[in-house]
Amino acid sequence: MNSLIKSASHYFSVYKNFVSTSTQVQASFRTSFILLIFMDLFFYISSLASVSFIFDHVETIGPWGREQLMFYISYMLVIDAIHMMMFSHNFWQLSLYIRKGDLDFILLKPLSSIFSCFFRHFRTPALITFPVALFLLIYYGIAVDISAIDWMLMPLYLTLSITLIILIEFILSTAMFWMVEGTGINFLRMQMQQLARWPNFVFSDYIRKFLTTIIPVLLVGSAPVQFIYNKSRFELLIVMIVALIVLTKVLNTLWKVALNNYESASS
Amino acid sequence: MKNYWLKWWQTIKVTWVKHTAYRLNFFLQIIGPGLVFFFIKYQLWSSIYRGDQQTIIGGFTLDQMIQYHVWGFLVALIAQANGSWNLSEDIRMGRISSYLIYPFQFHEYHTASFVSFQFIQLFIATFTLALIVLTQLAFLPSLYYLIQGTLFTLFISLFWFLLQYLVGILAFWLEETWIIRVIISIVSYFLSGAIIPLDLYPKWLTHILDYTPFPYLTYYPIQIFMERPVPVFQGYFVITLWMLITIFFINFVWKRGIKMYTAAGM
Repeated sequence: MNSLIKSASHYFSVYKNFVSTSTQVQASFRTSFILLIFMDLFFYISSLASVSFIFDHVETIGPWGREQLMFYISYMLVIDAIHMMMFSHNFWQLSLYIRKGDLDFILLKPLSSIFSCFFRHFRTPALITFPVALFLLIYYGIAVDISAIDWMLMPLYLTLSITLIILIEFILSTAMFWMVEGTGINFLRMQMQQLARWPNFVFSDYIRKFLTTIIPVLLVGSAPVQFIYNKSRFELLIVMIVALIVLTKVLNTLWKVALNNYESASS
Repeated sequence: MKNYWLKWWQTIKVTWVKHTAYRLNFFLQIIGPGLVFFFIKYQLWSSIYRGDQQTIIGGFTLDQMIQYHVWGFLVALIAQANGSWNLSEDIRMGRISSYLIYPFQFHEYHTASFVSFQFIQLFIATFTLALIVLTQLAFLPSLYYLIQGTLFTLFISLFWFLLQYLVGILAFWLEETWIIRVIISIVSYFLSGAIIPLDLYPKWLTHILDYTPFPYLTYYPIQIFMERPVPVFQGYFVITLWMLITIFFINFVWKRGIKMYTAAGM
């Protein structure tokens, strides 16, 4: 237990340094810093406005009304903001690490290679847009009258969701080890995010089952939000927890195989 | 003169080979996103209409809505997928120094690459269209509208190329031009009717959009393919005007940028 706490505190202090160096680098490119904020804001506006325009013409989409779907979209925007802040840049770097052989230096470090690869870069501008996404979540959460317990459990729901989506993306990213050009995998990864941005009832039966069990991307938002709306819908949360355990195992195995397959380009 | 065109032809051939070298990567990067985008919209609208063919939303039945998004996918394939993303890297890494010496200029090289890319995209679009017609997801318009729609979409692709080129050469000043590219694509997807038809937008917004090039980028080409009345000549006029403005800025930015270019790594 003691060694676990010691290890966690070590990783936390390393992560603090990762955040600090990333912030220093990004602060020196001020235009990009500002543009990244605008990029996120435009994305939030277009996501919410598109759904709002549809609701100007229909009463419901599936079983949900305007406020319920807007809450779902806001929930996914918070997930997106956390993803942008902590992980997004790292996926793009991984393909470069592998192609140029920079992964050698990461493997030499006395840290988990998964941690070093996927937690190294932190996108500071997202710290500015994250509160906007959070505000939207709170605003629509109040509109759909979420219970006090759900508000208290919200950090847990968000943690489960972000863990699930990044596990799926980590697993997909291991394919970069077998490809000369890994950019395409990043686009595939982004398509997983696209699919998760819509509630599961939008998809037809077979596709919903496939995207809930085989590639459980629809659980990211649908499992917690459906549970928030209806406490009898807990089965999706259970599937989500099972998926998290299975995917962690799959990632660990695949990552080892991928590293064994890695042929350093620089040495 | 023959030698000059030979350079164009060789560049087109080389770019074709470069693009098709990593086929899986090309599929995931260029075709995949549009395909998933269409798939989501297909599922979403089927869910909204609940399979009811009689329901009309914003002037569209379910069949028409699906057709709208099918044509939207094809328009995006031909017009918006051009691959000038490594243009800014050429500048940042100092690779444009070669073009300053070669008897084939930087803009000529990238225009030839664009032409090559369009050949690939047209080939893919034709194949996709054949599949779509065979599966009866959409109906083939009459030859007149098919040719008119394709020509207008190709014209739009030229505007997209110029816009991407302008953003790319901002790399003389900016470290990361992809952010601007993503902003432009988010805004244009939203305002051009790529996500949902403009008929569903509030009237005040569509009135404002009439004064911008956005509706001509996706909404109007789709309307042509769907054999709906569209002010085509007005479309050509507006896009030509925006192309001239973009070319003016390209010249301006290039002249200013090349003066401060330091040829990194030389």
